[in-house]
Amino acid sequence: MIEAHHLSKVYDRGLYALRDLSLTVEHGEFVFLTGPSGAGKSTLLRLLLRQELASEGELVVDGEHLSDLTASQVQAYRRSIGFIFQDFKLIPRKTVLENVAFVPRVLSASATQQRRKTFQVLKWVGLQHRMNAYPVELSGGEQQRVAIARALVNDPMLVLADEPTGNLDPDLSLEIMNLLREINARGTTVLVATHDRELIRRVGRRAITLDHGQIVEVMDGDRGDGVVVRPVTAV
Amino acid sequence: MQVLRYCFEEATASFWRGRRSGAMSVMTSAAAIFVLGALLMLTENLERVIGGWESAAELVVYVSDEATGDERAAIERRISASAVARSHTLVSKSDALRRFRADFAELASVIDELDSNPLPASYEVRLQSDPGLGSAVDDFADTLRGAAGVADVRYDREWIARISMGVTALRALGALVVFALVVAAALTVANVVRLAGHTRRGELEIMRLVGAPLAYVRGPFVVEGMLQGGVGAAVALGMLWGAFALGEFYYGSMIATLLSATPATFLPVELYAILLAGGLAVGSVGGMVGARRTARAERTV
Ligand SMILES: Nc1ncnc2c1ncn2[C@@H]1O[C@H](COP(=O)(O)OP(=O)(O)OP(=O)(O)O)[C@@H](O)[C@H]1O
Ligand SMILES: [Mg+2]
Repeated sequence: MIEAHHLSKVYDRGLYALRDLSLTVEHGEFVFLTGPSGAGKSTLLRLLLRQELASEGELVVDGEHLSDLTASQVQAYRRSIGFIFQDFKLIPRKTVLENVAFVPRVLSASATQQRRKTFQVLKWVGLQHRMNAYPVELSGGEQQRVAIARALVNDPMLVLADEPTGNLDPDLSLEIMNLLREINARGTTVLVATHDRELIRRVGRRAITLDHGQIVEVMDGDRGDGVVVRPVTAV
Repeated sequence: MQVLRYCFEEATASFWRGRRSGAMSVMTSAAAIFVLGALLMLTENLERVIGGWESAAELVVYVSDEATGDERAAIERRISASAVARSHTLVSKSDALRRFRADFAELASVIDELDSNPLPASYEVRLQSDPGLGSAVDDFADTLRGAAGVADVRYDREWIARISMGVTALRALGALVVFALVVAAALTVANVVRLAGHTRRGELEIMRLVGAPLAYVRGPFVVEGMLQGGVGAAVALGMLWGAFALGEFYYGSMIATLLSATPATFLPVELYAILLAGGLAVGSVGGMVGARRTARAERTV
């Protein structure tokens, strides 16, 4: 699903946010990106969302070379991706329903399709009873569930989450992770950037650790208790 | 159709939310359209006045009382033979007196006290309306002036031409002013729409991230600009109509006299449509500029 070949991202003043990074994420995989602050996790997700272009190397998602996409191809590509952020990025002026329905709406879905999909995902994240509430009236966990519903409403093949639980307490974090695991169980590839090593341990999936823009460690999660640690030389 | 509906709903909501700053772009658009409309109305009516004068433009040849029959016949022959004259009529001394009595009834008694009729006979010559004949008419007037039995030649096309030039200059100057106002209006709309876009930046970011088509992203800006320009144009038309009605009320009879008894006209219907379309166009250009600027400023569009 995701193939990065010798990927580098250089910001001004020669700062390497990513340096010669290569990795592969299989179709239907659930992968954590972790590492200290400034390691390059968000940068990699931004490259994957095609918000920025790599300075060197190649990034291929589902067969698409991201550096070769035209503006309209970028739009089409993004329609196949769901994103979740630490700060939820909900629109305060819109209700829960409107926040979610907004996406199919601006993608020209028919009115019935908008309604059907929106109800379906809101029910799935367990918020069908709060549809007419505004984001400020919701708890952090509920807001993030709305954001997840919005990420799913378009049936993405890939879900990218940047610190989705950064603002939530441990119980809520696990709840959100369980939702992401369920999405993954239905075949969607999920990539989650997080600091929370405890959460990674509890979820038990492959975790790629970055530092200074490079992969320093890959842990193969055992989907449960113990964690198998495998130092990385090449990926 | 869905995209139109979306853009329209977003734009009206945004217009309403930002109605204070929106009032500013409506006002500048209204000012631009008002000046344009006033200019068109003014020049249109001035041109009608001039047109009336031009078609009535005459060359009047006053025959001296001492002119002999031969001299009169020679004058008349000269007029009929000229290429610039369309037709002519002889106004005899008694015709002239009758006319004078009708036009200036209160002065009639003055004339009656005189022993003889002081008014000369004249030939009123209607000229060809071809404007290219200007110098030929001048030559014609000069030769008549020198002819035996001619007391004087009066020819008014020269100052009509001068006024006509004045109108052209007014129009050019006005066009310049209108252009400046239109640019100012478009820029105001652009800034106001951009300001409104700033409050929608959340939506804009989400739209960008989910890969919404450009029409959804930029359309609301254009429609909002169009609304501002359109409302501005409507306000301007109302103001023009009011100004016209006031002018008509206070100066109507004077204007009517100037226009030789036909009343001044408000803008023709096509011009309403053109002004309204102009307001919409100015607004949507402003909206587009606003969308582009938002794109650059917020990197979201
Ligand atoms: N737009 C930018 N311009 C310049 N430098 C940037 C930019 N974005 C990120 N960086 C730098 O790139 C490096 C990687 O940043 P990134 O945000 O990817 O880290 P991160 O792993 O997500 O960190 P955190 O855990 O704090 O979110 C940092 O040193 C950061 O300062
Ligand atoms: Mg980050």
